[in-house]
Amino acid sequence: MIEATNLTKRYGKKTAVDDVTFTVEPGRVTGFLGPNGAGKSTTMRMIVGLDRPTAGRVRVNGRAYAEHRAPLAEVGTLLDAKAVHTGRTAYNHLLAMAATHGISKKRVAEVIEMTGLESVAGKRVGGFSLGMGQRLGIAAALLGDPQTLILDEPVNGLDPEGVLWVRNLVRFLASQGRTVLLSSHLMSEMAQTADHIIVLGRGKVIADAPVGEIVARAAGGAVVVRSPQAAALEEALRATSAAVTQTESDRLEVTGVPAERIGEIAAGAGIVLHELTPTNGSLESAYMQLTADEVEYHSENPLGHVAQEQGALR
Amino acid sequence: MTTTFAPATPNPVRPVSFGRVLGSEWIKLRTVRATVWTLSITVLVMAGLAALTGWSTVLMRDSDIEVDAILLDMHPASIVNGGWFFAQLVVIILGVLTVTGEYATGMIRSTFAAVPRRSPALLGKAAVLFATVFATSAVAVALSWLVSLPFLGQLDISVDFASAETWRLLGGTALYLATMSVLAFAVGALVRHSAGAIAIVIGLVLVIETVLASIPLRIFELVSPFLPSSAGGRLLMDEVSLSFVSNPDAPVLTPWQGYAVLVGWVVLLLGSALLVTRRRDA
Repeated sequence: MIEATNLTKRYGKKTAVDDVTFTVEPGRVTGFLGPNGAGKSTTMRMIVGLDRPTAGRVRVNGRAYAEHRAPLAEVGTLLDAKAVHTGRTAYNHLLAMAATHGISKKRVAEVIEMTGLESVAGKRVGGFSLGMGQRLGIAAALLGDPQTLILDEPVNGLDPEGVLWVRNLVRFLASQGRTVLLSSHLMSEMAQTADHIIVLGRGKVIADAPVGEIVARAAGGAVVVRSPQAAALEEALRATSAAVTQTESDRLEVTGVPAERIGEIAAGAGIVLHELTPTNGSLESAYMQLTADEVEYHSENPLGHVAQEQGALR
Repeated sequence: MTTTFAPATPNPVRPVSFGRVLGSEWIKLRTVRATVWTLSITVLVMAGLAALTGWSTVLMRDSDIEVDAILLDMHPASIVNGGWFFAQLVVIILGVLTVTGEYATGMIRSTFAAVPRRSPALLGKAAVLFATVFATSAVAVALSWLVSLPFLGQLDISVDFASAETWRLLGGTALYLATMSVLAFAVGALVRHSAGAIAIVIGLVLVIETVLASIPLRIFELVSPFLPSSAGGRLLMDEVSLSFVSNPDAPVLTPWQGYAVLVGWVVLLLGSALLVTRRRDA
């Protein structure tokens, strides 16, 4: 269990985490989402005492992290894969970490096997790929068989097998009644892994709810329509309030109008339909809507830019 | 990757203790190449310069040049530990890298996650560093004695192991080098940057202390004997050199007073490093 109360972190004038209060419950996987710069990593670092909160406090399993006598048995952390000396071998890194808690070499060998690092355990970490670094970070997090896991972008750089493995791992650990806090930018992955979602935007909690609820809250999904007369249908739909995007020569994505109405319009105009599929809102679209106003670093849409210029020329 | 996640064996995890932190820091120190390299170089520098000092002393005695009385009265152990000045530059680098290497690579976050109170981790590092440099320097001194034996024989002198001065000069070398490495470590922990910390400590030893000592102003005459390596270096000087370097107007420290002043610097710097590190974001 992780309990953050009025947690705040300022760097000079910039507020990275702004009076945040949330609870990460045991027995489920909690996804931690937010745009770059929203304060996720800072919050995670404060949970394990690496950054000092400017105000507020955070407890893990009932106490401040630093007050635990065996912190690695309470919380396993993957903050970033680079928290390892590049000149040391993976095995020696784990051995040194284990030594602080009297953890046996047998357990070190066990986490190496679990994370599939056997073939590279004797190599220096400096030569590791991103994925191998992630596996090592996860191995270190599992060393103390902790009650709580905090994983910042664990699937970043992993191959599909590794992604699946992480999903199964965190689902299994949560099923054992452990607390799992997981951040990722891969929405589809998060939708399959997490039970509960906390969304941060500009240092504030903008959503804290079960995955299903967050998805349902998002505005209706699009309707996919296939028709050999796509252009004619588009024309007919434009007359209503529908927003239409042509994705392929015979495929349209329509929002703002229910599927029934699209069918009626098509029938009225004598247009043949090959497909008419309402899609559910996805976690991704829900997330995009939630964070639309909160994105710290907007990436400019290159096409939008061109369109504007063309508009100006006309 | 296997599909079983539960520990196959009961997995006893014990509370963090200073003894376990020492064990961990020893693993860390001996498993990076910088340690192996710097310590090997320390031994080579000490032994090489002992041979060189012995050889040049023999050459000077045999030459027609009028030789200073100071050279003829030189304590035999001063030939053996003749490499201490250059050896300290190497252990300074090791001391700095022991902590800045962790900041540079991000390892420090793993270290502080395992030992969130932080001070035991830094003190454990410093203790392991001190012990390792002390032991290596002792080996280096022993080896230096062996390689200087032929030259001592030609000079018709020998190292008298019954003399307290011999033990001060030889044991003091190991003590001084180990203490200087911890001083460098403390600066490294404060600065958190390899090149910056190495420049500060080596600059202090090679440049600042020498320059300040040569400025003929009263304030510098008073202050410079108390600077870290000027003070600590007194431990490594034989009676002849001690009488030679003393400036009648400046404060004169005995060898052990000098070493105590160096230890004072280390306590001050390490104490500041502990205080600052506890408050900082890692």
